[in-house]
Amino acid sequence: MSEQLVAQISEYLTPNVPIQLVSQGAEAVVFTTNVHPYLPKESYSGVEDAKFIIKYRPSKSYRHPSIDKSLTKRRTLGEARLLGKLHQIEGLHVPHLIACDAYNGCLWLEFLGENLPNGMGFSNLKNFLWMYAKGGNDPYDPIVLETLYKVGQEIGLLHWNDYCHGDLTSSNIILVREKPGSDTWVPHLIDFGLGSISNMVEDKGVDLYVLERAILSTHSSYAEKYNECLMNGFSSVYENNGKLGQKKLKEVINRFQEVRLRGRKRSMIG
Amino acid sequence: MVNLNAVPPKNGRDYYIAIGLEGSANKLGVGIIKHPLLNKHDDGDYSHDCQVEILSNIRDTYVTPPGEGFLPRDTARHHRNWCVRLIKKALEEAKIIHPTLDIDVICFTKGPGMGAPLHSVVIAARTCSLLWNVPLVGVNHCVGHIEMGREITKAKNPVVLYVSGGNTQVIAYSEKRYRIFGETLDIAIGNCLDRFARTLKIPNEPSPGYNIEQLAKQCSNKENLVELPYTVKGMDLSMSGILAYIDSLAKDLFKENKKNKILFDKESGEQKVTVEDLCYSLQENLFAMLVEITERAMAHVNSDQVLIVGGVGCNVRLQEMMAQMCIDRSNSKVHATDSRFCIDNGVMIAQAGLLQYRMNDVVKDLSETVVTQKFRTDEVFVDWRE
Repeated sequence: MSEQLVAQISEYLTPNVPIQLVSQGAEAVVFTTNVHPYLPKESYSGVEDAKFIIKYRPSKSYRHPSIDKSLTKRRTLGEARLLGKLHQIEGLHVPHLIACDAYNGCLWLEFLGENLPNGMGFSNLKNFLWMYAKGGNDPYDPIVLETLYKVGQEIGLLHWNDYCHGDLTSSNIILVREKPGSDTWVPHLIDFGLGSISNMVEDKGVDLYVLERAILSTHSSYAEKYNECLMNGFSSVYENNGKLGQKKLKEVINRFQEVRLRGRKRSMIG
Repeated sequence: MVNLNAVPPKNGRDYYIAIGLEGSANKLGVGIIKHPLLNKHDDGDYSHDCQVEILSNIRDTYVTPPGEGFLPRDTARHHRNWCVRLIKKALEEAKIIHPTLDIDVICFTKGPGMGAPLHSVVIAARTCSLLWNVPLVGVNHCVGHIEMGREITKAKNPVVLYVSGGNTQVIAYSEKRYRIFGETLDIAIGNCLDRFARTLKIPNEPSPGYNIEQLAKQCSNKENLVELPYTVKGMDLSMSGILAYIDSLAKDLFKENKKNKILFDKESGEQKVTVEDLCYSLQENLFAMLVEITERAMAHVNSDQVLIVGGVGCNVRLQEMMAQMCIDRSNSKVHATDSRFCIDNGVMIAQAGLLQYRMNDVVKDLSETVVTQKFRTDEVFVDWRE
């Protein structure tokens, strides 16, 4: 990341907000901070290591300023609205939206997850599965299978409510312990930058296909069982909704298989 | 382990010579190249550094009158008319007197492209092969572009943006294939520009896209961009809607339809937008989309090199925007070539074909030389890279 970009962000956030880089995507840069945007410090300073996520869409100097402005605004606002709506769905877990400055392309979000034991990295699904695949652990541990089932449920719930994620990968799913110290994990979906409201079967099918490919390319040896668990969780949400659910599930699954056969450009590894 | 020297050059020479025939669209190109036999190619990933010497690079473009595109039938006739003359001229320029002795391999475009023009050229290739008794190699047009770009710029493993009249793809190499990470869902960018040029009735000489670029440079009102749809979908993009919209604007402009509030002032009826402004807005909008999907692919594969190939790749504004993105992203440089290698040519077919030949991938029977209009980039097994 170039220094100019860092300067741009620091200037916007002012020196009162110390930031630490987490990741740089194509479109947005993600930081953590320990400052809340509007609550007084006393209200959360009691909580140990209060942490918040800042997702910042820097302005891109290569494109025309007016294109840049409208895109930044539209996308930030779109993501914020989507998060707001998803938060109201019962049983679905997404990060809590704290603040949104659409004109400057900045989102403040709740910090989720923790560091996995034994230096296995951050508690997203990818690292979690790797942790169980390595070093004497059982890759088909009941905890793993249960977690995957729950991930499937989250996605099922998302689709059942006619929302699509657009970029489902195992690193875009964060696991949070139900209670500190417990071994039950609650999956949270993050990064709705490509998300949308859609009742089209095609979008849902593509969503599932993208996830399947992601699992296949990052956890190839156990992918079959993992995907089965995910799909079981996914189906359970639809099946709980009676006849209509059954019908819709069939449509989604059929389209999913069609997309898979098409295989098109998404046959990429990397 | 890649051994590019598996097939020795003909007659104990210390170099290879290949002739490439290209005619997948309205350009007919014949190119002759020479690869020296280098020890480092015995083992290692050096396919981007063949120290190619270009002996001749001749091209003839079928140009149509303003407002018209090129039809397959007429283009094929043009290619048939010129093919022999161009091959003769290329041989003369390369000072090759006995093709039978001097040429190692004849490379032709197998696809993708327009059927009729491809057919005309492959017939010439087969004839030469039988006449001179030289083996044939069928080349994927897109891979030709990529290999030529890599050879000229010496970029080892770049993310490739391939933009031309028929293709718009973002490509990266992975496990013996050039994989397509993003592409257009409907029409190609060059097609979009060409068709807009047709609406504007601007000349097709030297190329419609070039003329749009020149008009865009003359835009005097760069602050007020005409707003156009911005249609990036993940790593893919769509351009037909943009074309339909800007076409309708241009038509209103020519008809002086004062009801159009985007083009004419609400009260005075004065014209606010010129043809130059439209060209500028179209370019800015389309190229911003291209750069964005390229950046996405770069983030995906963790690469910091970009190579732009294809006819639209000559556009200076596109190169500028890409360069700016590379600086912002990782202080890297963008790799681009000029019109000699960006626009379809025979040399690139010879380059990719010769690499294929050196890996011993030649046509064994004439039935394998059937051309195809649909030939995806990721169908080619890239033998010559690690």
